[in-house]
Amino acid sequence: MQIRERRIGQSVILDLMGELTYANRTIFKAAVERSKQGGCRHLILNMRGVRFLDSSALGTLALLTQSLSVTQGMVSLLNPQSYVQEIVTLANLHTLLPVYTSEQDALAGSRLPAAG
Amino acid sequence: MAESARIIDPSPAAKASKPMPVILLVDDDEITRISMAGRLKRLGYRVIEASDGVAGLAAIRAHRPDLVILDWMMPGLDGPSVCEALRADQELRSSQVVLMTAHDQPEQIAEGLSRGADDFLSKAASKQEVLARVQASLRSSALVREIERTRDDLDRSHRLLSAKQTELESELQSAADFVRAQLPLPGMPAPGVSMQWAYQPSLALGGDLFQVSAWGTDTLGLYILDASGHGVSAALRAVALMSFLREDNLAKAVGSFDPGAIITEANRRFPLTQDGEYFTLWVGRLHLPSRTLSYAAAGHCGAFLHSLEGTSQWLSSASLPLGFDPTIPFHSATAQLQPRDRLYLLSDGIYEAPSPTGELWGRDRLQATLETHRTHTLAHSIGEAMTTARLWLGGDIFPDDVALLGVEVLDGSASAKDKP
Repeated sequence: MQIRERRIGQSVILDLMGELTYANRTIFKAAVERSKQGGCRHLILNMRGVRFLDSSALGTLALLTQSLSVTQGMVSLLNPQSYVQEIVTLANLHTLLPVYTSEQDALAGSRLPAAG
Repeated sequence: MAESARIIDPSPAAKASKPMPVILLVDDDEITRISMAGRLKRLGYRVIEASDGVAGLAAIRAHRPDLVILDWMMPGLDGPSVCEALRADQELRSSQVVLMTAHDQPEQIAEGLSRGADDFLSKAASKQEVLARVQASLRSSALVREIERTRDDLDRSHRLLSAKQTELESELQSAADFVRAQLPLPGMPAPGVSMQWAYQPSLALGGDLFQVSAWGTDTLGLYILDASGHGVSAALRAVALMSFLREDNLAKAVGSFDPGAIITEANRRFPLTQDGEYFTLWVGRLHLPSRTLSYAAAGHCGAFLHSLEGTSQWLSSASLPLGFDPTIPFHSATAQLQPRDRLYLLSDGIYEAPSPTGELWGRDRLQATLETHRTHTLAHSIGEAMTTARLWLGGDIFPDDVALLGVEVLDGSASAKDKP
C-alpha cells in the first residue's frame, strides 16, 4: 500500500493506494500516527485508490474513530470505490464516520452525502 | 594397534596461541617415517605416527587428525585401501588425505584419486613442496571442518525446532479439540427440532463458533459469532464470548434471553481490542410452541431462513459489529417459522469463497444451492453446500473459517395456537 499525506489547515488528507488489509495495517497505522502527532484534527482518508478492505481494516477504522473522538478529532472517508462502499455500508460503519464524495465537502466537515 | 601410533612433541617455535594442526603420518618404513615426521615437526605441526594401514585407521578414528599422509605401499592395508575405507565410513569420510609415493606416474595418480586420495606427495619432494602441499591440504581440511561444524549446528537447530514445532502443534491440536468440543452435538437439540452442521476452520484454530441449546423449557437459543483475525488469539476471544453466551451467564449478566438485550450487553462488555479486533454476532431465540423466532445481529450477515411454503429471507440488516460503538442499543426483530422450515446460520467464509479467478461465491449462489437440495435431508443439504463451495473454490482449503449450521423445525413439533 502507498500513502501520500496532504496537510490542509488542521485537516490531513491521506491518499491511500492499494488494499487496506491486515497485511498493510502497520503502514496505515504509522501514517495515521504521523498525522495525529502533527496535530491533525480531521483525518480524511481518500479511498479512491483502495480496491479492497478486509474485516481487520474495518476494526482499524473503528478504533481510529474512537481514538480521535477522545481528542475531539474526527475521521472521514472520501470517494470509496463501490466494493469498499458496500462493505462500509454492510458493517454500518457510515454511522460512525462520514463518507464524502467531494474533497471540498470533506474539508468543510459536511456530513452529506453519506454512503448507504 | 594403538601402540603402533605415537605422538611427537611439537617444536617450541610452533607453540603458538592458535590450535596446532595435527598430522597423522602412516608409513611402514621407519626411516622414511621418522624423516618425514621430523620435517613436519620442524615446520611446526603436531605429528602422530602409525606404522601400517590398520594402525593408521585406528589412529584416525582416535585422534581425528587435520591431515593424513599415507604411504602408498604398505603390507596388509595399503594407502589406497585405507582411502577407500575412510570414504566408506560415515564418520571419517571427510578426512583430508595425501598419498605419499616414490612414484608419481599419471596412471598411479589417477588410481589414487579415484580411490579416495585428495592429493599426492612425492617422497622426494623438497621441503618447500612439502610445506606447500601440507598447507594447501590443511586449508581444505579447515574448510571441511568448518562446513561440518556449521552442518552440525544446523542439524542441532533443526532438531530443536522440530521438537518445538511438534510440541506447539500438539498444544494447538489440544486447543482445537477443546474449541470443537464447545460446538453442539448434531441431532435433536429440542423435541421436534433437528440440527446439523459443517465446520472447517482455515487454520487449526477457528474464530467462528456457534451454538444451539435449550434456553428454558420452551425456548431454543442459537447464535453464531465471528472473531476477527485468525489463529490462537481469535479462538481464545471467541471462546470468551461463548462463555458469556452460556444460558446461566445470560440469566445473571443480562437478566433476559431477548437477543437484542443480549447483544446490547455483549457490545458493552466486548470493546475493540487495542489491535482493532472485534466480533460480529447473530443471536436468535426460537419459541418452540409458537415457532416464533426473535433475533438480533451485530455486524453478522449469516442467517438465512429457508421457508418451504412461505418466503425465504436473510435475517440480517446493516448493524455495527460488537465494540464499534459501545453506547448503542440493539433491537430484536421477529420471524415466523412454519413446519419443515430450515434456519441456517453461516459464517461469511462460505459465501466469500473465491474462485480461482477471484470471484466470490456469494450469498445468492449459496441460497440457490440450499434451495436446490431442499427435498433432501438437512445433513445432505449442508454437505452439498460445502461440496459446491469447494468446487467453486477449486480446492479444499478455504481462506477463512467456514461454518454452516442448519436447524429444521419438524412436522407436529408445536401447536400454532401457542404464543410466546
